[in-house]
Amino acid sequence: MVEPAVALFGEAYERAARVLEELLRESGARYTLLLDRKGFVLVHKEALWAPKPPALDSLATLIAGNAAATQALARMLGEPRFNELLHQGSAHGLYVEEVGELALLVVIFDSSAPVGRVKLYGKRAAQVLESITQEAVVNPGTLGIDSEYRDGANALLDELFGN
Amino acid sequence: MSTINFAAREINFKIVYYGPGMSGKTTNLKWVFQQIPQNRKGEMVSLATEDERTLFFDFLPVDLGEVKGFKTRFHLYTVPGQVFYNASRKLILRGVDGIVFVADSAPNRLRANAESMRNLRENLAEYGIKLEDIPIVLQANKRDTPDALPVEMIQAVIDPERRFPIFEAVATTGMGVFETLKAVSREVLSRVASS
Repeated sequence: MVEPAVALFGEAYERAARVLEELLRESGARYTLLLDRKGFVLVHKEALWAPKPPALDSLATLIAGNAAATQALARMLGEPRFNELLHQGSAHGLYVEEVGELALLVVIFDSSAPVGRVKLYGKRAAQVLESITQEAVVNPGTLGIDSEYRDGANALLDELFGN
Repeated sequence: MSTINFAAREINFKIVYYGPGMSGKTTNLKWVFQQIPQNRKGEMVSLATEDERTLFFDFLPVDLGEVKGFKTRFHLYTVPGQVFYNASRKLILRGVDGIVFVADSAPNRLRANAESMRNLRENLAEYGIKLEDIPIVLQANKRDTPDALPVEMIQAVIDPERRFPIFEAVATTGMGVFETLKAVSREVLSRVASS
């Protein structure tokens, strides 16, 4: 495939995780996530006091879809992009900020966290995360999936879907 | 392209079910959701209209299990088949690793099948991808339709060069659903292992 992949691991992953933790602390939000544009979770952090989050896979997929639709809308209106996305209900809010071309920062907060603070620290965090994700872009050919992995996965496919 | 999360030790692949409206893409996903064990699937998300037509996409994560220490997961998506939802269809194709093209076997849908395949080619081209760059498996669905067209005729229209494997299916009963998914998953794995 032509699209590069973001592979966060080791030191880059730790740095991204620290940025998300700091953002949680500063903003007072419940959850922070770094997603790739395809809707896969790269890193996520939860506040210690926060209840169990909803299914992250579903959350990430819907947010990536929503962000993609918003970008398409921006282009239709002649804007290169809409940088941020904010949804606010009576008790919960969702803030999404672009992290370069390949990733999205998501902040989920409740009424105890002022939206201005979420946006301020969210934008700062997104800038730092952008440089981290840029360093973590890899050529898909170097992801290290070999034939041994393929054979193992094929055996599991047989097990799950039958021979 | 597949996403590897080394920290969580996960490898994720994205498979998209494409095809004309009402060909059975969502029905394929629903069957998979109903049949696989609870511990191997996540929530199924459907963004549909009130009459159950897909509006944006359906989504189902399937856990294959652990391979070489990595949790391997397939994210299954459907696109809205109706012609006027093309903007949404295009978005769902971003980062796709493999495609199941679900064709309708009814004679009056032959043209819709052909148009949907042409639309797939055009939408992939916008991401700089050619049909041959990506694993594609065809499914001739609704084989229980009384006047179902011969599979060869459907293939002649959507894949005249016979480049892609084709499976017969009746997604409402599950016939051919797992076979199709397994085939595209195998091709995706082969492709990434050889890249």
